[in-house]
Amino acid sequence: MEYIIETKQLSKTFGREKAVNSINMCIKQGEIYGFLGPNGAGKTTTIRMLLGLMKASSGSIQVFGKDITKNKLEILRNIGSLVENPSYYPHLTAYENLEVIRKVVNVPKARIDEVLEIVRLSDVMSKKVKGFSLGMKQRLGIAAALLHQPKLLILDEPTNGLDPAGIIEIRELIKSLPAKYGMTVLISSHLLSEIDQMATSVGVVSKGELVFQDSIGQMRQIAKSKIIIQCSDVMAASERIQELEIPLEVIQDRIHLSQPTDQCVAQVVSTLVHSGHQVYRVEEVKRSLEDIFLQMTEKGQRR
Amino acid sequence: MITQLLRAEWLKIKRKGLWFLALLGPIGVVALQMVNYGVRKDYLLAQSDDDWGYYLSNVGGFTPMALILGLVILTSLMASIENESNGWKQWIALPISKMSVYASKFIIVAVLLFVSSCVLTILTLLYGRTLELGENIPWLQLLMNSFYPYLASLALVGLHLWIAIISQHQGVTITIGIMGVIICMMSYYLPDWVIWKWPTLMNDWNNPLINVALGVGAAIILLVIGMWDFNRRDVA
Repeated sequence: MEYIIETKQLSKTFGREKAVNSINMCIKQGEIYGFLGPNGAGKTTTIRMLLGLMKASSGSIQVFGKDITKNKLEILRNIGSLVENPSYYPHLTAYENLEVIRKVVNVPKARIDEVLEIVRLSDVMSKKVKGFSLGMKQRLGIAAALLHQPKLLILDEPTNGLDPAGIIEIRELIKSLPAKYGMTVLISSHLLSEIDQMATSVGVVSKGELVFQDSIGQMRQIAKSKIIIQCSDVMAASERIQELEIPLEVIQDRIHLSQPTDQCVAQVVSTLVHSGHQVYRVEEVKRSLEDIFLQMTEKGQRR
Repeated sequence: MITQLLRAEWLKIKRKGLWFLALLGPIGVVALQMVNYGVRKDYLLAQSDDDWGYYLSNVGGFTPMALILGLVILTSLMASIENESNGWKQWIALPISKMSVYASKFIIVAVLLFVSSCVLTILTLLYGRTLELGENIPWLQLLMNSFYPYLASLALVGLHLWIAIISQHQGVTITIGIMGVIICMMSYYLPDWVIWKWPTLMNDWNNPLINVALGVGAAIILLVIGMWDFNRRDVA
């Protein structure tokens, strides 16, 4: 079994709208896979299909090397999940909420205390969930997902609605899971900064399509630099540079060179100086991951 | 698996007032007779030579409506427990089959109504004894009076559970339920195939067992259809 999750040409249509379009997602064991995309890109729909909550319109899903349509219960036995906003029974206490789940997943009662301890809800376990803050409900949701010691954890926007301290806490918890319990984690978010701090690999989805999938390192590689030159008589200067066959763009009276080599920059500057242009500034601008994310998702939007 | 599910479902209905409702129904039905016999006992006793039989038919006059109203509220509450806080997605993502999830909800309502019917039997008997209707208690008739309407109304449990689970809005469920109670009140004028007529045990052949058989048979069919439909639906 090479991948924990592998989807092939996974698609879901609602009426005429293609919510998920031919997604080929691959998640290796022990990874924290960041599933990134703007709101409405198809993240939750994909996750619902992975959990068997929705049936795929076409394509296949293999989890733990088995087809979800044929081995759903067996697969779900090893998956813990938190989909979108947390689910809970408000009239029951935190402990009772977990007890309801414990009764069907068959784990010892002591496990409830363990997971409550992990998400730090032990003090309030006998209080009704009705009175919990969103952060506490979210943590209870994570406790429920961890209850049966799953091999795969699927968390859909788990930090939604949390305050900064809560976000950091949940992030640290999620980061520790693969090493501590050998879990593989799929975590979706619309915030790149979130994923950047947790994930080991990334899938970017936009308009239902997977526009990027690789390691987070690879994504950072794309964040290469750009040189912006300010000089006198920009039009003449740019013509001069074009004679050197170096690609450029003129944006707001500035010459932009994308990902030039050091040699190339030196050549451009020297040419400009020798041809009598006054060079005011040569700046290096690094693209942030946010830019790359926006560019990737915009590409998807235009499609 | 179904026993584990049932244990979980029993825990879920804690503090939701379902048990209270299950007791309120029979108490209400007998309380109405307490008022009826309290106000005009002599007149009522003069109406028939069979005092127990007449008393039981009076109790039985309100049982179907109480049953229908009860099952509508119970099924609606069973669905709302999951609907009000997006419980379905967490519950269905557990390693349990969707069909047994649906069946467990049906069983819970059926058991609660069974308890109601037992309480109704006991209360009918106790109040009947205080009325001094005679030493010859018609046991069989007493049991039939409480349990035949229950069995005949199981089909409605199947129907209303289905409606409650597929309609996201509780208003739809309650509206159809109230219409059902009104239809039930007009049963005398309705053809025998109307499902809301069955708990009244009335039919052209004057044989209540036909309604019981229809109720149980249709309940099984509606349960299977409901399970199949719930299984094929996407969870929102």
